Amino acid sequence: MPYPENGGYMIAAYIIVAVVVLGYAISLFVRLRRVEGGRRAG
Amino acid sequence: MTRDRAQALARRGSLLTAAALLGLAGVYVRALVFTPIERFQGPAQKIFYVHAPAAWSALLAFAVTGLLSVLYLWLRDRRLDLVAAASAEVGLAFSVVMLTTGPIWAKPIWGTWWTWDARLTSTLFIFLLFVGYQVLRGAMVDPDVRARYSAVIGILGLVLVPFIHLTVYLFRTLHPDPVVMKPGSPSLPGEMLVTLLVSLGVFTLLYLGFLAQRYALGVLRDLQDEEASRALS
Repeated sequence: MPYPENGGYMIAAYIIVAVVVLGYAISLFVRLRRVEGGRRAG
Repeated sequence: MTRDRAQALARRGSLLTAAALLGLAGVYVRALVFTPIERFQGPAQKIFYVHAPAAWSALLAFAVTGLLSVLYLWLRDRRLDLVAAASAEVGLAFSVVMLTTGPIWAKPIWGTWWTWDARLTSTLFIFLLFVGYQVLRGAMVDPDVRARYSAVIGILGLVLVPFIHLTVYLFRTLHPDPVVMKPGSPSLPGEMLVTLLVSLGVFTLLYLGFLAQRYALGVLRDLQDEEASRALS
């Protein structure tokens, strides 16, 4: 039985997860580097 | 906590986050390549392998914030407030994942991006509650007042967590019932269940890594503010 062709939604969701998770990881990394370097992180 | 210990915690958190990100890459490969496509929902069903674990991590983070808020109001230990605040911010990041992947799954399966049913509405509500938590913390200057007021919001969030889990039983809702966190055995075929459980583990590790880093950041900021106020006086 053929399944529904909705792979585009799946790809969009996985891209968004990667962007949000990596974005937050980078944000934490940058803020930590700033505060460790002596500047107040936002 | 001293600066050295906070920096050591930040490094351990970074390592844990890096390991979890590698694990997430593994989840992508397992879910997209090696897990079978569900017959009725098609490829969109695979969104479930990131949506449900993100929801788990978000609610875990908010529950931790709430529990530590209760402990803070009891013990008045500054560290409890800092971990609670760290967990709240991490929970918001996972909530963004939950609230974006859910509608992307709903559109092809339900035919609509959003519906105001009990599960979705209460999930949006807890997200907005913790956005308010962040805004409140940003607006308060006195650390003790900030900790006390935000602890009250954290406890309100804690009350919502079990309610959100039970909404699918308490109300007539479009949202699917839990497949793992329910009485009885999980209702998923073996390969799909393994993918979900691996993803749950990876998202839990991600939560712990983010939490350690964000807590270390809070401690380092506090130390910096103390040094600045000492220099001024």
